[in-house]
Amino acid sequence: MKIYHCEDSLEGIFTAIYNTYEDHSPARDTMVTTIEENLLFSESVEVVPDPEKTVKVIRTLKRRFGEEDYESLCLALSSPKPEKAQAVYRTIAKGLSEKCPPGHLLDAMADTYVNQTFSLARGAGNEYHHLKGFTRFEELENTILYSKIAPKNNILTFLMVHFADRFPMEDFLVFDAGRYLFGIHPAGKPWYTLQGKDAWERVQSETEKLSTAELHYRELFRSFCHTIAIKERENRDLQRNMLPLRFQEYMVEFR
Amino acid sequence: MEYLIQNGELSIMQKLEILTDAAKYDVACTSSGVERKGDGKHMGNCTKAGICHSFSSDGRCISLLKILMTNECIFDCKYCLNRKSNDVPRATFTPEEICTLTMEFYRRNYIEGLFLSSGIIQDPTFTMELLYRTIWLLRNQYHFNGYVHVKAIPGADPELVERMGYLADRMSVNLELPTAEGLRTLAPNKHRKNILTPMRQIQNGIHANKEELILYRKSPVFVSGGQSTQMIIGATPETDYQILNVAENLYQKFELKRVFYSAFVKVNEDKSLPALPGGPPLLREHRLYQADWLLRFYGFKAEELLDEKRPFFNVMLDPKEDWAVRHLECFPVEINRAPYADLLRVPGIGVKSARRILSARRSTKLTFQDLKKLGVVMKRAVYFITCGGRMMYPTKLEEDYIVRNLTDPKERIRFGSDGMSYRQMTLFDDGMFPNGVRQEEVLPAAVGEL
Repeated sequence: MKIYHCEDSLEGIFTAIYNTYEDHSPARDTMVTTIEENLLFSESVEVVPDPEKTVKVIRTLKRRFGEEDYESLCLALSSPKPEKAQAVYRTIAKGLSEKCPPGHLLDAMADTYVNQTFSLARGAGNEYHHLKGFTRFEELENTILYSKIAPKNNILTFLMVHFADRFPMEDFLVFDAGRYLFGIHPAGKPWYTLQGKDAWERVQSETEKLSTAELHYRELFRSFCHTIAIKERENRDLQRNMLPLRFQEYMVEFR
Repeated sequence: MEYLIQNGELSIMQKLEILTDAAKYDVACTSSGVERKGDGKHMGNCTKAGICHSFSSDGRCISLLKILMTNECIFDCKYCLNRKSNDVPRATFTPEEICTLTMEFYRRNYIEGLFLSSGIIQDPTFTMELLYRTIWLLRNQYHFNGYVHVKAIPGADPELVERMGYLADRMSVNLELPTAEGLRTLAPNKHRKNILTPMRQIQNGIHANKEELILYRKSPVFVSGGQSTQMIIGATPETDYQILNVAENLYQKFELKRVFYSAFVKVNEDKSLPALPGGPPLLREHRLYQADWLLRFYGFKAEELLDEKRPFFNVMLDPKEDWAVRHLECFPVEINRAPYADLLRVPGIGVKSARRILSARRSTKLTFQDLKKLGVVMKRAVYFITCGGRMMYPTKLEEDYIVRNLTDPKERIRFGSDGMSYRQMTLFDDGMFPNGVRQEEVLPAAVGEL
């Protein structure tokens, strides 16, 4: 058994997968992991993330499995669960060896690894879809729109694509509080991400200064949410089912 | 942004409260059906699946800013809060106020777009003109590119309805009550024919536009999200069978995207309205929605689910289970061989899981364990399926037996009014010790060793 240890990122895992093919390691006897994993009689390989190899892997994946399945794989890799690397690696290996046609990579759901990849991707996809709606922006003093989220999966990049398309002419900032990750979109320009605790410490005080209009609109929306409910149909259970408490923490109408 | 009342004028806050309160009984709040990318300059885009932005305390989704333009109304429909004989505070938004609210809410990602309806002020055409002016401003002056759902006012000038269609993503005309007779008794100012005319007009408009789009790809799109309607359930004595037939007709003859059902909430005291001591008929509404899905996605027909002799839905079983136990000759279904249409008829298998079964069984022979992974609800499906010719447990294919198991009381608690309970767990609750105390445990328990 050969164990490839890589860093927990798209680049790290894709480089590891490239290396397994470079070394001709048989998939059944190979493991890709992002955590400390030591098995008896196993050989450990350290993987250094390599942008060139990553690009090659991405190109192959898109060509062989199509845009949609590639996105599913990326969603699966955004999960915080440690089994993701191995699941995605074995799914890719199976797809490549069985010459799976584009768009059908995740069809063989009776397979353990494919199923795992599928559930991870579905979980992350659901959270992404939820956050498209549940993310709240607040206008700061300097007219920048600021939003704080804390998703389980690392889906900030997906969200940035969505919001950049929606608000092309707004300066906005999405902050993933769990990962100290910023998505920054200057008006009319491409967006980028930034990671670091020190960056957060620098801007933290700025994010507390709200514009004057902000409080008014907040109050208006709260009143709207309150009025739109029909008293005779009250069903708090259903509300909590549809909108779990962990999202409510960051939404103005529940604060 | 003014909160204070100035010169007797209502503040935005008060207006929003009055006009939201007046609009809340409209059910449709979906933002689905349109896929439109941002144009890179102006605010807004649409996603096919629609996006829910929040959920109110009744568990309904808040996706659009749902308001009336005005709650002034010249009509006197008995079930409606805004009827002219009611003494309620009245308010009217200006088009600019609506546009600003929409834009500012949308910017903060509170909403997915605007849902604009209105009471009838002066006459239908005048009202429609007001709505048109608002949406025109929103699209052309404020350059809003998000979702817009507008009501077509029955009786308004068809020219206005047509023009509105090119600005809105979805239009709807409310059928209000399932039959013409019900409409006559409860809404004396509305007529069935007036309601169906704009519905037909929109349908024809969508058709004509599709052909236009084939010729000229850049021509403007007419009501790209399709049209919908809603019916009030439980205000008039119609049966479920009648209602379902009306819905089926609307889907087939008017090609509606959605029909919404709204459990009647009694807001006015009137001798011609039913009493409803148990609150709004929520379970009935729920069953109708389930049946609606069966019509649209599962290939069922209205007369398969109900008929003249049994015109109401079963309270204990959902419509699909109900159909299945009455048609046991169609079961069991073999998972590894059955065609898609047969799989869809099995309770516990939905559209998604049926598709997954089809693609997964190409590469392997499926087992019951695999089915669980594919998302099949086994507690319902288990009586109706075989894998490789075997059933999961030795079960009888017998109506009484299956009904008894499907309606197990543990599964039935879902329809409490609120569902929240504050009952504290007790130490000496029989229910907590399902196995009872064994003989050899008695002594150690008594001397305190257990």
